Amino acid sequence: MDKRMSIDEVVDRIPSGGLIAIGGSSISRKPMALVRALARSDKRDLRIIVDVGGPDVDLLLGTGRVAEVIYAFVGFEVLGLAPHFRRARQTQAVQFQEWTEYTVMAGLDAAIKRVPFMPTHATLGTDVLRVNAAFKEIRDPFTEQPIVAVPALKPDVALIHVNYADIQGNGVILGDGHVDVLCAKAAKDTYMSCERLLSSEELQRFGRDVQILRVYSRGVVEAPWGAHPTGCAPDYRTDVRHLQDYLRASSSEEGWRQYETEFVTVDHRQYLENHGGAEELVSRLKV
Amino acid sequence: MPIDPQLNVDEVIITTMARQLSGEMLVSSVTAFGSLAAHLAKRRYAPDLAVLSTPESGMDVTPMPTLTLGQFLTDVQQGIPLTMEDIFDAIFTDHFRIWINPSQIDQYGNTNITCIGDWYRPKVALVGARGIPEDTSHLSETFYYILNHSPRAVVARVDFKSGAGNGDSRRGLGPHGAPSVLVTDLGVFDFTGPDGTMAVRSLHPGVSIEEVQDRTGFPVHVPAGEISATDPPSPDDIRIIRDADPLEVRKLELMSGPEAAEKFVAIYERERQALHATYPRVGKLGR
Repeated sequence: MDKRMSIDEVVDRIPSGGLIAIGGSSISRKPMALVRALARSDKRDLRIIVDVGGPDVDLLLGTGRVAEVIYAFVGFEVLGLAPHFRRARQTQAVQFQEWTEYTVMAGLDAAIKRVPFMPTHATLGTDVLRVNAAFKEIRDPFTEQPIVAVPALKPDVALIHVNYADIQGNGVILGDGHVDVLCAKAAKDTYMSCERLLSSEELQRFGRDVQILRVYSRGVVEAPWGAHPTGCAPDYRTDVRHLQDYLRASSSEEGWRQYETEFVTVDHRQYLENHGGAEELVSRLKV
Repeated sequence: MPIDPQLNVDEVIITTMARQLSGEMLVSSVTAFGSLAAHLAKRRYAPDLAVLSTPESGMDVTPMPTLTLGQFLTDVQQGIPLTMEDIFDAIFTDHFRIWINPSQIDQYGNTNITCIGDWYRPKVALVGARGIPEDTSHLSETFYYILNHSPRAVVARVDFKSGAGNGDSRRGLGPHGAPSVLVTDLGVFDFTGPDGTMAVRSLHPGVSIEEVQDRTGFPVHVPAGEISATDPPSPDDIRIIRDADPLEVRKLELMSGPEAAEKFVAIYERERQALHATYPRVGKLGR
């Protein structure tokens, strides 16, 4: 089956109020072309799941698309804190659930395995257990010892970005895998952008690097630089200069309007043009 | 009096961190200090360590701190690729060590990277608990470092427990995940005080116990007898650290304001060149 579609066709299939899992990790391999399209859409009240979030969650919060965020971490790593996330947390503008890196994985895994929860000792003794109303401390039925039940996370949609894909929806991930496979398997519908579409014969040569299996994917989009400004190893590194501009823009309303006009409300082709085009990006970001 | 001016504080801290590591363990590289400590330990003190190039992948590489090239380091050195499942399985089975750099640590070794103030209406929203609850419920040794020992960072009680320390936090957990060691710019501390509270183990050369008390948010327990001095780095330790960090990314973690911004840009511009000078390209795309 040919599952190719456009970025806008992916966004059309995302329901307002939907539970959306986003792959990647902070400033690495985020599906930013898809996220930007969602950010400029009229979708509302999205509920976002990220294990380790970064510019993805921050942009969706900055453009007012979000009702709730389930996260283990949201930040820009070496660049500092995520500005819209920080503001939204401090003004309590939207709902937040603080999870942890493994518990997000466990929640997705519970959804995959069709069980209501996964048990773990993680979060015992911490305030995460106190503030996260989704978790329940229960008794191990065998030993009566305390243990935490992490409920299944059942995303309506997963969005991920990979290095290569074929038109059937198999995906190759060459750098760190992050939690993309769990997102893809747990979601009802997984949409994947890729740096380059390959023939199925070419794709199969990647062996175990074919991590996204076509039975789990609903749509595939060819979007070169689709993770920018986050990095996509080994194709390109994180655009730290762009993220610094993003952080500066986020500090004033006027700066943010300008950023939106230049980099969010434009389509992916124009977005790349506004960075000086692919050649300019190659010279700055290819490793 | 601050640390002996003949010594570089970053090299004292990294060497001290390296000397805590032992055994055959995966060691995560989240920060420059953590990865350099792992590298130095493997070279000089604990040869069986399996050093990672990123928080989740690239086992058995020589780390080189950069801003964005961790995954590229995995690629050019053909480090053994790991998954997030590998990482958390290693945490749960106690085959993993990590140096955590918390925003706050308290007298019981509870740690905070989530927020300043109340979680529900934070004064400052930080990043979220990430994987610290997993570490503090499973690892038989947990390591912390703080570069600027101050009453705002080393506090009587953390604002939010992202990680579980001693005392009440141990309820339901048992000993695994309890705090082991804190290294700061003033000295080395463990948690052998009354009820598992923080105690002085050694002071860095030139540091007085009065300065430690002045810069700590609670009275630190001082064991009876003479307080020992931290062994300073040897010439070999210093050479290994400097060779492994040609861009001096470690210095960035000690800077702030315009000085840090300038250094940051200089590292970003030079990091690709430094990587290629050290490693010829033999990664997946080069094969």
